[in-house]
Amino acid sequence: MKEKIQNIIENFGLPRIIIFLFLVLLFILTPFVGVRFDTSINDVIVRFGMNGILVLSLVPMVKSGCGLNFGLQLGIIAGLLGAVISIEMETIGFAGFFTAVGIAIFFAVVFGFLYGLLLNKTKGDEMVVATYVGFSSVSFMCIMWLMLPFKSPNMIWAYGGSGLRTTINTKGYWFHILTDFFQINIGSHIVFPTGTILFFALLTFLVWAFFRTKMGTAMTAVGSNTDYAKSCGVNVNKMRIISVVLSTVIAAIGIIVFEESFGFIQLYMAPLYMAFPAIAALLLGGASVGKASIKNVIIGAFLFQGILSMTPSVINNIIKSDMSEAIRIIVSNGMIVYALTRIMRVR
Amino acid sequence: MRKRIIIRITLIVVLILIGIFLYTIGKEHKVLIDNKDITVGEIAYSADTTYNVWVDNQEIGLLEKGERKVAMVAGVSHKIVVEEIKDKVLTGEKHGKRFKLKTNESATVNIPAMINNANEWIDKTN
Amino acid sequence: MMKKQSLTKTMNPGVHFLINYAVPIIFTILIAFAIPLSGLSGEYFIRELMIRLSRDSFLILALLIPVMAGMGMNFGIVLGAMAGEIGLIFITDWRIIGLSGMLLAMLISTPIAILLGYFAGIVLNRAKGREMVTGFMLAFFMNGIYQLVVLYGMGNIIPISDSSILLPRGYGIRNAISLLGIRQVLDKLIPLEIGGILIPVASLLVIATLCVFIIWFRKTKLGQVIRTVGQDNDIARTLGIDVGRTRILSIVISTVLACYGQIIFLQNIGTMNTYNSHEQVGVFAIAALLVGGASVSKATIPNVFVGVILFHTMFVVSPRAGKELIGQAQLGEYFRIFVSYGVIAFSLALYAWRKRIEKENERKKAMAFKRGILVK
Repeated sequence: MKEKIQNIIENFGLPRIIIFLFLVLLFILTPFVGVRFDTSINDVIVRFGMNGILVLSLVPMVKSGCGLNFGLQLGIIAGLLGAVISIEMETIGFAGFFTAVGIAIFFAVVFGFLYGLLLNKTKGDEMVVATYVGFSSVSFMCIMWLMLPFKSPNMIWAYGGSGLRTTINTKGYWFHILTDFFQINIGSHIVFPTGTILFFALLTFLVWAFFRTKMGTAMTAVGSNTDYAKSCGVNVNKMRIISVVLSTVIAAIGIIVFEESFGFIQLYMAPLYMAFPAIAALLLGGASVGKASIKNVIIGAFLFQGILSMTPSVINNIIKSDMSEAIRIIVSNGMIVYALTRIMRVR
Repeated sequence: MRKRIIIRITLIVVLILIGIFLYTIGKEHKVLIDNKDITVGEIAYSADTTYNVWVDNQEIGLLEKGERKVAMVAGVSHKIVVEEIKDKVLTGEKHGKRFKLKTNESATVNIPAMINNANEWIDKTN
Repeated sequence: MMKKQSLTKTMNPGVHFLINYAVPIIFTILIAFAIPLSGLSGEYFIRELMIRLSRDSFLILALLIPVMAGMGMNFGIVLGAMAGEIGLIFITDWRIIGLSGMLLAMLISTPIAILLGYFAGIVLNRAKGREMVTGFMLAFFMNGIYQLVVLYGMGNIIPISDSSILLPRGYGIRNAISLLGIRQVLDKLIPLEIGGILIPVASLLVIATLCVFIIWFRKTKLGQVIRTVGQDNDIARTLGIDVGRTRILSIVISTVLACYGQIIFLQNIGTMNTYNSHEQVGVFAIAALLVGGASVSKATIPNVFVGVILFHTMFVVSPRAGKELIGQAQLGEYFRIFVSYGVIAFSLALYAWRKRIEKENERKKAMAFKRGILVK
């Protein structure tokens, strides 16, 4: 019995188990600290739907051996461009949403392709190059947001300023378009965001199905055993680029879903650190730098968002102070550090 | 092995001593300077005129009758110098006194008492 | 059979130089354009340069030793900066002013810096080959811990007697603390004015001393050990060197130096942004070093100073140039940030690319040799 427990601990990693137990504890505490259990669960589910696709986007690149996508921002920027342009075009409702997605995919393919070329040239150091490429592109886009000729009065600075505002409201366009789709109301406090979850399930299914195709298997082979893949005649570089494009596209879709649920498009420096929560969530779900699966995405996103939404509400009620920010930083970055240190050791 | 431990402990002790030293000579103290009437025991001293005040070579400025000013000083030993000014003219009369302040002390100096060399020209509080 | 030789070895030495020093060269060109554009005077520049050289160099110098040890750009200097700030919080609370204040801050933050450096070293040892990303994330992680200590612990579990530096709610340090007591205490220690420009002699002396120390250190036994570890871990190991311990030591030294560097930096500015001052320290210091021509595997003292001059000139020039060029100073702000990140991205990509090409050529050579073909 003891061996079995030790095995589980080694397999899952102590931090993950600690975090899981912590989350369970938080849930148990809810009624005792004056927080409603059902609204808490609701919060977690909503946030899960909001962030899930971004976490999902990391999977192709991990599988193809490109590591954790610290350059997620490129996909996010593609998504932002899609969102902003769709509003500029005054499209609303589902049409608006899908326009945004369509334009975003276009940009994502372009960005992803270039990004993939770069990563191929820097094999072995992808993660650190990706981080800074991601940062530079966000800062570069800051300049672009100021300069690009957008005209929609809902988006540019008031009083004749030029350039886009920092946050743009999606209300009236496609705010909650998915969330309200077949919305299920349970009791008076739970609003189940059916649309969002369905969409997430759809994308998850597509990714899962993809990896069962010939190309998907080839991609996984490239990541787990490059030489073997090469000997089978797989073009390693091509597969990597495809995986990067895939990741970028999914991320672009992911940020639009995020905005749909959140209600705001956040420009300028907001996306700067957005890669980290997604990566932390994936790692929390059991993935590592070289391995990731759909299971990791679902478990990880749920756990991570759970911690993120439960900690402030519960702990703040106990300690009467807002520690949530510090805890969020510690948990999310700590997870990443932990995952990065799992594999190699210097004796 | 033992030698190493001894060296290390000595080093730490030295560093702590340096720390205490720095703390003491760097600690900021508040010194209030009054040019006010004061009664010490049975003798009353009155503030007659304006004085130009220096504390530790830092010019505090002119203190008129009844005025109070603040000087922030660091360390243990200090010197206060006052220069008499009667009717807007420097009379050339200078008085100086030295005083020491312990780590957490702040002080209030009374000029009339100081000039007359009364014992309680300075009042120290923790 | 045609032999493909190393891309970087047989080419024209001129081109070789260009590739190695691509970053500083591009930078110099950029600046050459931007300076006249910004319309700032020469005197302004010299004054700014003097300030920045004396203020920032120490921090950047702290990056050199981990590079010697083969650990790349040490983002762990952020941890050193945090240690320094904790020291400063205490001396501000205790009201210790002047040079004693600054020295005392250095004294009490040293053990904290050593501890943090040791922790960072252990973590980085377990992330061999990924030191930079791990260091980067570690800095973020530590920031969370720092917040826990400074925003919640101080005034609470950690006694703070001066309530003016605490938040209104009674615990947690304020966002900005005035360091008036030690402001410019090192800079003005030995005052010298030439042509109206104040020269912080003491600070420059301290920096010069550090440079001398680093040069001397390289030649010591420990320095040699570190360099061997940096060259090749396996060779070092066969020579009996404890590679892990050496790496940890180099990070500890770097962290302590960064701690002092941050104190020197803040002493010049005179105010401390409790939660922001250390955030960009890592990025800017590393960007400056890379702009100076350093790479992940090689960084020298000249790199530091060339880097400070180039990088900070850009820093000063961008907002104005942005305003002249496009009419928005805000643009210059973003441009500055973009350049900082972009420089690092570009340098790292270039370095990774070169590394890969050399590896490829080594592999090809080895394979050709195996096939019995003589390699020249």
